[in-house]
Amino acid sequence: MFKIFIVEDDQGLVKLLEEYLHKFDYETFAVTDFESINTQFRQYVPHLVLLDVNLPKYDGYYWCRQIRSLSTCPIIFLSARDGKMDQVMGLDNGADDYITKPFDYDIVLAKINSHLRRAYGTYAAQAEGRPLQVQGLRLDRERLCLFLREMRVELSHTEMKILDELMIKSEQVVSRDRLLEKIWDEQIFVDDNTLNVYVTRVRKKLSALGIEDALQTVRGQGYRLVPSWENTP
Amino acid sequence: MRLFLREQRPVIVIYFIQLAVVTFVYWLDGYRNAAVSMYAVLLSSCLLVGYLVFRYLTHRSFYRRLQEPAESIGDFTDVKPSSPLSESLHRLLKSQYRHYISELSGQTEKIEGHIRFINQWVHQMKTPISVIHLMVQQESDSRSVAIADELDRLRKGLDMVLYTARLDQFEHDIYVETLGLEKLVRSLITAQKRLFIRGKVFPVIEMEPQLSVVSDEKWLTFVLTQLITNAVRYTLRENGKLYFRAYAKNGRTMLEIEDEGIGIPESDLPRVFDAYFTGENGRRFQESTGMGMYLAKEICRKLGHELDIESEEGRGTLVRMKF
Repeated sequence: MFKIFIVEDDQGLVKLLEEYLHKFDYETFAVTDFESINTQFRQYVPHLVLLDVNLPKYDGYYWCRQIRSLSTCPIIFLSARDGKMDQVMGLDNGADDYITKPFDYDIVLAKINSHLRRAYGTYAAQAEGRPLQVQGLRLDRERLCLFLREMRVELSHTEMKILDELMIKSEQVVSRDRLLEKIWDEQIFVDDNTLNVYVTRVRKKLSALGIEDALQTVRGQGYRLVPSWENTP
Repeated sequence: MRLFLREQRPVIVIYFIQLAVVTFVYWLDGYRNAAVSMYAVLLSSCLLVGYLVFRYLTHRSFYRRLQEPAESIGDFTDVKPSSPLSESLHRLLKSQYRHYISELSGQTEKIEGHIRFINQWVHQMKTPISVIHLMVQQESDSRSVAIADELDRLRKGLDMVLYTARLDQFEHDIYVETLGLEKLVRSLITAQKRLFIRGKVFPVIEMEPQLSVVSDEKWLTFVLTQLITNAVRYTLRENGKLYFRAYAKNGRTMLEIEDEGIGIPESDLPRVFDAYFTGENGRRFQESTGMGMYLAKEICRKLGHELDIESEEGRGTLVRMKF
């Protein structure tokens, strides 16, 4: 289990980050005494550090240098400052990455995963956290595969993202806007009709596993994944 | 010279009156030798001319200074005082200049402090925004969606404050580099995907992929975000398209953003770049501060780009940037 060390003085933000990371099986430690970050770091020995720039007493750059003298673990800055100079300062002081506030959960998780993968390559499989599972239906995000019992289908990247969202929120309605937001990226701008096409494809993939009618359309609201399949192997 | 003569006119007039009075007194007394009087007039006139010439020569630079408009506030300091009058004027100006400068630097300091405060404040506001943003991110009920939308507006508002405050120190805050235009536009559109999806507007990119521009990424991003936000906001029908076109023309790179929105009334068109001008559309939609387009134009001017706007009411608006 990877240990993440969080240095951020806003308790609300820390709490949300911790809750989210726990969902993906990370262990976290939030610094509460900002005078002795070194000591706490030495005691906890984390795999990765999330570090705010504006801290009481010394700033994050200072602590970054301090931590660097103790360890080579990945350090990611979290900061409200979005200037080029701030980012350069961060990286110059020994950080590996820089995330500007306000950020998305997805981005934090993706960056944490990628840095852990790089730093501790052999544990790559672990770094992705547990595979997403709903009643025996397993989604492997990395290999773009969907499993049910011994059966397996391959997915496209977009199909994976749709299933990811639907499975995380299984039995809840996911709005069309939300799905569009998920699958929209720099290469494909998805309009409403394209989404229909993708949803149809996801239904086909599900039926290849013998799952029918699990992906329901809720008129005027969106889609819902109802686990109608049997969990018996 | 003209100012000098005007200044000395009373002396000359008095002199001639005095001359006439003296000659007249002698004439009444019975002394009627015209030739001697003329000689006296000639002599004393020579004295007068001599005095005027001397006076002019010593005060020449002083008069010249008075006649020329000052080009900057410290302009007078290079004048060498050569007479008591100009010397005391010089002293007066100098002391006034000192007072002025100290007051001015006090003001500048105040403004700088204010800008620093605004900067700090905006950055402080970003943490609470992050927290709210994270709280609503995982939810998809209509309330959270509404909060997320409001949050987006709040963020844009804060950005606007930040960039307005920074505008005066533009020169210290610029980093020019070569930017791939299509890549930039694509990442911008992705950053604004929520806006597009909520507005049911779909971007269409028609760009030559190799085009690049020399500019500052942060400022340019701010300008383009403004333009995109406006375009999406004023596209009121569903499934409207927003076209991004880029091409090279006469050695300059052009970027066009064209929407199919409500357009801008012709009477408002010449003033859309004025500060605080909201126009017909701004009044109808209640969200405009009138600063967005002004800032966009101002930033473009400082970056050396041109920004034009064409619009037909009811048909759409086309904004063109020339790099």
